Amino acid sequence: MPQFQFDSLGDFLSMGGDAFFVWGAYAFFAVSMIWHIIQPGMQRRKVIRLVRARMQRDQQ
Amino acid sequence: MWQWLYRLGSPKLFYDMTTGFLPWLTIVTYFLLIVGLVWGLGFVPPDYQMGDNFRIAYIHIPMSVGAMGIYAMMACMAAMHMIWNIKLADLVARSCAALGATYCALSLVTGSLWGKPTWGTYWIWDARLTSMLILLFVFIAIMALRSAYDSENSGSKAASVLTLVGVVNLPIIHYSVVWWNTLHQGDSILGVSSQSANPPEVWSPAFFVGLGLIGFFFQALIRRTRNEILLHERRSQWVQQLLTSKQLQE
Repeated sequence: MPQFQFDSLGDFLSMGGDAFFVWGAYAFFAVSMIWHIIQPGMQRRKVIRLVRARMQRDQQ
Repeated sequence: MWQWLYRLGSPKLFYDMTTGFLPWLTIVTYFLLIVGLVWGLGFVPPDYQMGDNFRIAYIHIPMSVGAMGIYAMMACMAAMHMIWNIKLADLVARSCAALGATYCALSLVTGSLWGKPTWGTYWIWDARLTSMLILLFVFIAIMALRSAYDSENSGSKAASVLTLVGVVNLPIIHYSVVWWNTLHQGDSILGVSSQSANPPEVWSPAFFVGLGLIGFFFQALIRRTRNEILLHERRSQWVQQLLTSKQLQE
């Protein structure tokens, strides 16, 4: 089994002095992924609302 | 074979098939990503030269390979759209562009943040980095070109042509580290024994993250394509029925 490589949480967060680079890279990654999780849902709501509105207009 | 292709090109079939498939894909994707990232961030021994900043590799490498893979897939879809006039292929290609641009941008940003502590610079105009930047511009150009047309059909055709022209960049990116003398390293050889330069202990997490990011791409692509299908097939009977039923939530 792989061992946890850091002695403490502080040690883990400091990433051997490269915290800015490592966590910076992972932060960009996390923000982009979250956007791609949220965005299709927002798009879906918009599309459904638009198509339903057009259907109602066509019925009248 | 042609009939099979034709059937697969049916937006309704795509929509129906992905409805049940999507939740499972999402669960597997998140499982792979969490395992790979936690493993890579905490459980792989630090590199003897780079220390802990090599942990950026677990997102940098899958993102770079992913961006090129997404482009290749988008080009196949563009070709299918051009040759057989399959409308679904165009809807998929449309959904690919934003995801490809994101993967490519993340490859560049994470690479830049890795370059500073290892090379001493955020950016250098070497062949690998420059050709990857061009790939990002091509992704953005394809999206911009598509939206620049008033007629959707003209926009699709123009975007497809540009996508196919841009394929020339893929071998350039891949062979850039061979053809030119670059600061960027060549492809790493993945060893199978613990004594090799890249033992399985080091690259296994990247394998999980890589599969996870492929899964993430496909689940986001499917969700986006389903939206495009609802919008473009809005006059068809099955979409109207689907939207009239109360079960379909917004």
